[in-house]
Amino acid sequence: MGFKLFCRYSLGDARRPLHETAVLVEDVVHTQLINLLQQAAEVSQLRGARVITPEDLLFLMRKDKKKLRRLLKYMFIRDYKSKIVKGIDEDDLLEDKLSGSNNANKRQKIAQDFLNSIDQTGELLAMFEDDEIDEVKQERMERAERQTRIMDSAQYAEFCESRQLSFSKKASKFRDWLDCSSMEIKPNVVAMEILAYLAYETVAQLVDLALLVRQDMVTKAGDPFSHAISATFIQYHNSAESTAACGVEAHGNAIQPCHIREAIRRYSHKIGPLSPFTNAYRRNGTAFLAC
Amino acid sequence: MEEEETYLELYLNQCAAQDGLAPPRSPLFSPVVPYDMYILNASNPETAFNSNPEVKETCGGFSSVDLSFLPDELTQEDKNQPVIGSKHETEENSESQSRLPSPSDIGLGSNSPSLSNPHSQQHPSDTDSVQASPEKPDSNSLPLASITPMTPVTSVSECCGIVPQLQNIVSTVNLACKLDLKKIALHAKNAEYNPKRFAAVIMRIREPRTTALIFSSGKMVCTGARSEEQSRLAARKYARVVQKLGFPARFLDFKIQNMVGSCDVKFPIRLEGLVLTHQQFSSYEPELFPGLIYRMVKPRIVLLIFVSGKVVLTGAKERSEICEAFENIYPILKGFKKA
Repeated sequence: MGFKLFCRYSLGDARRPLHETAVLVEDVVHTQLINLLQQAAEVSQLRGARVITPEDLLFLMRKDKKKLRRLLKYMFIRDYKSKIVKGIDEDDLLEDKLSGSNNANKRQKIAQDFLNSIDQTGELLAMFEDDEIDEVKQERMERAERQTRIMDSAQYAEFCESRQLSFSKKASKFRDWLDCSSMEIKPNVVAMEILAYLAYETVAQLVDLALLVRQDMVTKAGDPFSHAISATFIQYHNSAESTAACGVEAHGNAIQPCHIREAIRRYSHKIGPLSPFTNAYRRNGTAFLAC
Repeated sequence: MEEEETYLELYLNQCAAQDGLAPPRSPLFSPVVPYDMYILNASNPETAFNSNPEVKETCGGFSSVDLSFLPDELTQEDKNQPVIGSKHETEENSESQSRLPSPSDIGLGSNSPSLSNPHSQQHPSDTDSVQASPEKPDSNSLPLASITPMTPVTSVSECCGIVPQLQNIVSTVNLACKLDLKKIALHAKNAEYNPKRFAAVIMRIREPRTTALIFSSGKMVCTGARSEEQSRLAARKYARVVQKLGFPARFLDFKIQNMVGSCDVKFPIRLEGLVLTHQQFSSYEPELFPGLIYRMVKPRIVLLIFVSGKVVLTGAKERSEICEAFENIYPILKGFKKA
């Protein structure tokens, strides 16, 4: 999918991302999504359902609260946006009335009902009230803001266009790419929306991590411990300088495939005594970036 | 307050001397302009009145408010002032502004956004000299939400002459009698009725171009009108159609439920900056929707802001809310103008 080049630009890579990197990213996202789909299909089968529903995907994501919360927020925003857009265009309003069922906030209801049913400790439901700032999202916003500040209006227009690209725009192409037709159990509409979102998130995560890796590789002269300090530490504690550096670099150099590979390697390699047991889907060998 | 006025006068005179520009605001009007407007405007941000950064009132009284009480000095301001600016200009220009409600609107109570009224109603003690005497003491519609003592004339130079245009109005009315939808669908022109799909008759008329959903309970929804009185007129027409078919239709509780307006600030806007600084009000997910969704608290309006500079405002029950919301957002948008 050629538009991924554009996609990555909007997520923080340079204006002309490398082709090799794009191919690699596409590969990674594809593999991850197919695996995710298979796992979701398994879960569906356990329930005895005929379609993959959003509930199955939410179930797979239950372990990572931050990502789950981001997904929930996304679903709510989607609901909200349909509500507003409906109010604006009278044709939409009629369409909605004609379709009969109460569509307002349907995704929110799905999510709420489901989490209600699986929540034992109450922590999942607590997420609905949780107003904590999503750090990753915050960082992405800041990065975008930095990038756009220095652009002129033509560049900015291009940037905006690239940001609007998503996997959900060409739903049929996306379905084919994931080879849904060969599957026994297929995802329903809302589940497809979530998958498109997860695909986008995966690309975003990859870019985030790759940027960190690349920043790591920049040796800071005069800092004796730079080789020993992890990327996250540098990111959080040197935010003033690093943000400036990040901005400049992102604009100048493109992310290389090696950055991506290193990012994935680090992500899969969780350090800790219980690491082999923590991630449920590691039995497949892949750690999912999006969930 | 009086102190503030003279201070304002002093400040303005200073500014005029410094910049050679006409003072953007009349010395008569008390300072309602938010702090940042002053900053943008003048080189030396006097702070006296900025301690009172209340929400500005509705955008310049569109309806023909009688502004004759205003002194002539205001006229000197019009050099660079866009129309919406001073009240008196508005009065003069109200005829030429095709988008402004016609004078006949004034009779229709609910849509006269006269500035002074809320003020006179809610703050009778706050004299402040200027406040326009209530030309329309009967203005019944103004909600508490849009109250602020003084006029927005101040915002003129920032807001320029942009007036949001109404695009769609959704209203409801109760015909107060049970209706036989099948009969209506059979006898009325331009009526659709498909009970399996939806339990209402969809009727359309060409003038004003609107669509109505008529329910068997007698309730009706009218959409598509471009002004308050058009919506009312259209609703009346539908009611008449129903009446002619033999039902004892009445016209109860006509209420405007939603108004949508749009306008163009004519410069590109850097949405990434806006979403970062106004996080608690904005959502911007470009892969979901190309516009930034801004939920303004006061007035409670949702704005869709696009990179091109187009702004859509929705969720208003009154025209004044739309104007007020736009006035509030304009300076913010200017701050994120993409050069």
